[in-house]
Amino acid sequence: MEESLQAFFLFWLAGLAIIVGLMLGFFSKQSPIRRFGMVLLTVGTLSILATPWTLSFSPSSSFGHFLGSILGPSVLLGVGLYNIAFSGHVPVGRLSESDKRAGFVMVLIAMLWFEGMHWWVLTPTYPDDINRYWLIFWPTLLVVTAFASFVVYYIVKTVGDERYQEQRLLLTLFAFTSLLIILGLLRDGPHVESTHFAEEFWLAGADVFGLMVGAALAILLFALVLSIYEAQQPLPKQLDPPTTHQLEEAAKHIAKHVGGVNEDE
Amino acid sequence: MKMSEPTGVSKLSNLLLASLVIPSAFLALTFVLHPGVGEGTLVRFANSMLTSFTMISFLLLLTLFVYGDARKRPMTPFFGMLLCGLFGTALSLFFLSQGDLLMEDNGSVRAQALSNIIRFSTTVIACAIAALIVLGMLFASLMHTPPARLEFEEE
Repeated sequence: MEESLQAFFLFWLAGLAIIVGLMLGFFSKQSPIRRFGMVLLTVGTLSILATPWTLSFSPSSSFGHFLGSILGPSVLLGVGLYNIAFSGHVPVGRLSESDKRAGFVMVLIAMLWFEGMHWWVLTPTYPDDINRYWLIFWPTLLVVTAFASFVVYYIVKTVGDERYQEQRLLLTLFAFTSLLIILGLLRDGPHVESTHFAEEFWLAGADVFGLMVGAALAILLFALVLSIYEAQQPLPKQLDPPTTHQLEEAAKHIAKHVGGVNEDE
Repeated sequence: MKMSEPTGVSKLSNLLLASLVIPSAFLALTFVLHPGVGEGTLVRFANSMLTSFTMISFLLLLTLFVYGDARKRPMTPFFGMLLCGLFGTALSLFFLSQGDLLMEDNGSVRAQALSNIIRFSTTVIACAIAALIVLGMLFASLMHTPPARLEFEEE
């Protein structure tokens, strides 16, 4: 098969299958369609994860390698947080104390794993250089986590009632990610120099701002489309006022069903 | 209400300010520590904005189909699609007409567009994991807070 056709089927079509699978899996009301969506999602993800072997000639395969590299810590993080959350004050299906401890260990390992990918020998390398998508991902993750933790801290402080523990936790997370950013800007890692990190961090900022502006424009445009169509909608048909006979009938019905309590009772 | 107590509008404006100040402060720090950074910022911003607009419009188009179906007006999604397409095309033409504004290390516009989509996906994955960390920790903490008890005064 021609290389471009192979890349189309094994990478781009797989990517489309992930998007369609996600939408069907989460938004469909029918169970068979939801299951079909999940199958599409799994097949698409596996196909992209396999690209370092199936599409080794294509530059797109670096993305498959990158996804495979972050899969482990991301799954550990998700399962760990789930275990911690659902071992709390949950009325039904509460997890045990050992699940909670396992959750803490998973989150800790996930954090160390991610850190090891920047500060230790775990940096994703493909084929001989550092995976370029890792260099995009890591600064973006840091800046968005710092930004989101501060914004959510402000929301919890404004809306929450005596949520001091949550505020402290979010501020700690903000301080931790800020420290990681500053360390990355000041000190060289074993594979990524601070200058390179600074360049990627700057471009990650441009990426995030661009994403926000593009998303806002798209949403505004769609709101405009909806408001134009809603404004064109004809008014509903006006009914004639009730006649005296209809009012008497209604009064009779109301009196029958909403009668007061007798004083004798 | 006390004079110093923030109103809903001022709380929202503070929130918006915080959302702009935090990333801007980090970027300013980067610029101070490494004054050489900044090359290709506008190109990256424009590419990211255009890709984000196109991809999110595509996702919103699907919701417009559901909307048009529910409102028994099938012309709505087509109108939305047309407007979105025109706007996206206008943006693309504008940026492409600025010389090499949209081009990075790719040989053709097609390669640049495909590279933009993968880069957009990477950014979205990073944002999703960041949201998982922040909201997951918040939710876990909330679930470990003892349920509030109603205290009644003794008669």
